Amino acid sequence: MNLIGYACSYIPVEILSATGLHPYRLLHGAFDLSKEGERFVRVDACPMVKSNLAHVIKNQAKFAALIGSTGCDMSRRMFDILAEHTKIPVYVVNIPRTDNPAIYNDEIDWLAKQLEHFTHKELIAEMITDEISKWEARRARLRSIDIKRAAHPSLISTTDFHKLMSGYHKGALSDEITQHQDPTDKPRVYLLGSAITYEANHILQLIEEKLRIVGDFNCGLSRPLGIRIKEQSIDGVKKAYYDQAPCVYKRPHQRYYEFIKAETVRLGCTGIIAWTLDYCDVHEFELQKIENVLNLPVLRIRSDFSFQGLSQLKTRIEAFTEMLCTRI
Amino acid sequence: MNDMLTSRERFGLLVIDEQPDRCNIMPLITSHAATVKGMKLRDYYTNGENMARAQIATVEKYEHDAISIFSEVGIIAEAMGSEFEYPENDLPILRTPVLEKKDIEEIKLPSPRADGRLPVYLEAIEYAYAALGDRIPILAYIPAPFTTAMMLSDPNKFLIQTIREPSRVESIVDRSLAAAIELCYHVIDAGGLPIIVDPLASSSVVSPKTYRQYALPSERKLVDFLHRYDLDIILHICGDTSPILDLLPQTRADLISIDQVNMQQAIDKLSSRVRIIGNYDTSRLAFSTPEDIEAEVRYMVEGALHAKKGYIAATGCEVPIKAPEKNVVAFIDTVKEVGWYWV
Amino acid sequence: MYQDLTPEKISLREWSRQFRMVGDSEIRQFKYYNNDEWGIYLSPPATFMVYGSRQLKKLKFDNSLAALRLWGFTFNESERLFRARQSGKRIIAAMGDLGTVPVIALAFPDCIPFYPDCTWWTPFFNESTVLLDKASELGTPEASCFVRSTLAAFHKMAYFPKPDILFASTGASCDDYSCIMQMVEDMGYELNWLEIPFRRQRRSLHVPEEHTVAESGFEYPKRFETYLVDEYKRVWQKMEALTGTGDLEDLNASIEKNNRIRRLVNEIKDLTQTAAVAPFPALEMMIIEFGNLYGYADIDEWLDILKMIKQTIADRVEKGIGVLASDAVPLAWVTPTADPLLLNIVEDLGGRIVATEYVINQALTTIEEGIEPFHALARSFMNASLIGSTEERVRQIARGVDSGKIAGVIITNMLGCSHCAMETRLIEEKLKNVPVLAIDIPAPLGITAQLRTRITAFIEMLR
Repeated sequence: MNLIGYACSYIPVEILSATGLHPYRLLHGAFDLSKEGERFVRVDACPMVKSNLAHVIKNQAKFAALIGSTGCDMSRRMFDILAEHTKIPVYVVNIPRTDNPAIYNDEIDWLAKQLEHFTHKELIAEMITDEISKWEARRARLRSIDIKRAAHPSLISTTDFHKLMSGYHKGALSDEITQHQDPTDKPRVYLLGSAITYEANHILQLIEEKLRIVGDFNCGLSRPLGIRIKEQSIDGVKKAYYDQAPCVYKRPHQRYYEFIKAETVRLGCTGIIAWTLDYCDVHEFELQKIENVLNLPVLRIRSDFSFQGLSQLKTRIEAFTEMLCTRI
Repeated sequence: MNDMLTSRERFGLLVIDEQPDRCNIMPLITSHAATVKGMKLRDYYTNGENMARAQIATVEKYEHDAISIFSEVGIIAEAMGSEFEYPENDLPILRTPVLEKKDIEEIKLPSPRADGRLPVYLEAIEYAYAALGDRIPILAYIPAPFTTAMMLSDPNKFLIQTIREPSRVESIVDRSLAAAIELCYHVIDAGGLPIIVDPLASSSVVSPKTYRQYALPSERKLVDFLHRYDLDIILHICGDTSPILDLLPQTRADLISIDQVNMQQAIDKLSSRVRIIGNYDTSRLAFSTPEDIEAEVRYMVEGALHAKKGYIAATGCEVPIKAPEKNVVAFIDTVKEVGWYWV
Repeated sequence: MYQDLTPEKISLREWSRQFRMVGDSEIRQFKYYNNDEWGIYLSPPATFMVYGSRQLKKLKFDNSLAALRLWGFTFNESERLFRARQSGKRIIAAMGDLGTVPVIALAFPDCIPFYPDCTWWTPFFNESTVLLDKASELGTPEASCFVRSTLAAFHKMAYFPKPDILFASTGASCDDYSCIMQMVEDMGYELNWLEIPFRRQRRSLHVPEEHTVAESGFEYPKRFETYLVDEYKRVWQKMEALTGTGDLEDLNASIEKNNRIRRLVNEIKDLTQTAAVAPFPALEMMIIEFGNLYGYADIDEWLDILKMIKQTIADRVEKGIGVLASDAVPLAWVTPTADPLLLNIVEDLGGRIVATEYVINQALTTIEEGIEPFHALARSFMNASLIGSTEERVRQIARGVDSGKIAGVIITNMLGCSHCAMETRLIEEKLKNVPVLAIDIPAPLGITAQLRTRITAFIEMLR
């Protein structure tokens, strides 16, 4: 019982970790888990939320605390349900959608205070500095691997990179998976949309049979690697997390588009993979704008984590690849 | 440019003094719909579902902005007892006006759900409304009291009576007004927007004096009744109405549909008070070419588009039954090209 | 003078017949913006049906003159907004907060606030997919809330005039609507975004901090008020910049006026829900509740209409007469229905709505007077339905259940609506002492015989 579950990129892992608990991002998403989750919510809830619900409730003995946030409405409400169905202490943090650092700072301070109280452990400056060093080092290592993924030719597949990032999200501070180099000249694409869950590696594998994902803006992948803490203090943590490349939920969300557009150019991508989960409206709503703003071919993949339609998806990926090759 | 609004939305803006995306296009496509649908005229005006289907097919083909439920102006008179003949491929013909057999006091008010072909009209309105009422206005043509009065009588005798027996004419017109109001109750409940048509009040038929004495007061009463419903009322009078242009606003109609009138003159006299509808010469639709129609319609629309209270591009009278479809298309397409407000 | 007949729910045709008895002077008596030329609105439902509100052919309406006034006034709103613009008033669009920004806007002269959000009813009243199809064309997902019709209305510019200023609330709000608002901004409208904090309940495990209690009994950290105060001050500044004026005394006056409406509506609700026989139908009551959001774009006229409705209801209660059978089954309704017909159907099948949770609690609670106005508004908003936990949301309904006042609960859901998807099961659990019927609102024209059968069975079971 040493996990502290959280669900949002704006929750500083350094603070969670400083409590001595093991940060664990709730990034589950599998068809069977999702079906189990339907015991608690309607069928038209997001399959990742449903999966996370099922995972936590099944494994509640492993969780010491849960940190919710107001990132997306379904995710925020998931913590209501977890508070009802488990005895795990739940803390929900206001993550502002508008540009409002004051609220964010107050709320992270509040969270730190709650965790100190809960763990009976004062989060002294040294502990925070220590955590910053550890996690910064971890992110730096992952960034160096990400550079290989982005290289020309790309040396690391996102299928492998996802395994490494899953380790990070599960709180591992060292690479347990050896990355092997796999240079390729497949068409270079950028991945957007709903989080790639721990269990969704097969989707990446399927995509990368024909394409190479060389970059992403995805909560299940490299999203945290943009966080660079410059000031070795809790204020430095807050600033770095607040200033990370903005989430698509932010209002207005121009900066999100500026960021991903710059990334697709920097990485020399010729196409976009937009992965959305059923009823994940926030990402669904963006699809048309993604097409308009990025001005690149977009392959929309919508999923409920089931394997239904996989061969059809394969055909679509092949057709998309052919189209990209023709354009090149 | 592509339409941004539905016909319903477009008309809705016009009647609250807002400019829509483009001007409304409402050529008086009535029985011409039977031709478009390939239907015999008798099948059109004796069967409500047929009438509605033909109108729907026509709107789908031409993409103009109104459904027009109408065949001819005798419907109320028929429901009150005038006898009509139904040729297979022509409009009904008045054979025996009821006042040739009965006195006006003996004539009962018609029951719109039972008498004559009024049920046909109501069925047509209901059918069209159920099919397209959310996206297009369903215009239900209501013969005005003066026109109905003449269809209850021998027209020649009636015209003489307007001079010699004014009180008799007034009582016939009053009775016709009551019948029109009764029909309007049902038309409104069916989903139709009444449009008052008074072709026999035209200056081509009666003098301005006669118009002022009989037609205008009854038109106004009918408009006043409809204004109780806060409906925006169109008044259409065919032929030449130049001599009575100044009188038309006294009817209190919200939209005036004109025929053989100089458009600029109509705009000068009316456009600060009412919206103007008109007035392409329908004979041109029958006998002209698409190229000529395009040039003429362009000229008409460019001149009228910015009429102060608004403008609806239309034909001056009914589109001829056998008008070549390409000519109607030329009319509508031209308005769609030049009639834009939003750019 | 028109005299109300024995209360009953009547059809559009019956209203048309009854309307013949309404005198011309009575028609002219009621007008919005006090305008004689275009401000008259007392029309039978048939008028609005002729202009495209097709569902009115199916609905049943209360037969009082007060109800006729209510329908005429609310259905005239689109025209009213355009007329407001034509007569030089400023149009203020408030989106997402459902109840507070208009109070600020109404403190400025000739400013007319409205909620584009309310366009979500239009596809149902019109029995039309015009707006929903357009929304899809503009890129909204098909499995998202019907509020997507708002986006289409912004695009078409035929349902309300282009606002002079737009305020959009986001944060602890529903995702679909936040996305819609973003798409409105992408269309070229300039939005002023406001942050709505999540109303975090005080829990025993939390480190104590200064908390306060909203009128509805919700506890929350006091500092959250400050967040809202800052946001409302920004709204005030934007309004000052727009109008070139701004007097806080006017804000106090606006609060006072809005409170008059809120109190009146609460009295109307109490009268209606506690009477032995239901004196007023559920559909009209829903329209009344939602009037609290902004007074349907003429708050003075709306206030007058409410007074008339209250009088009508009070008379009926006194006489012990009403519009439903005395043995109608008392039900609570959670989440407003996008399809108004459903309220009619439930009543026709023997139900009676005696409690509601229409996600606008913030607009139903009164705003404190005599304190600094922005704090008063912030404190009022902290009563909001959707910014806190589900448990808080249904607490009031649960109390009604426990007291035996409510025999059953109907929850309406919209496919793809984030809070519906997550809350419904939990609400069912929270209301375990009472049968609950969850209904998915189908697309326009989608109510089936099967759904009627489910409602019938539910009410029969409760009997």
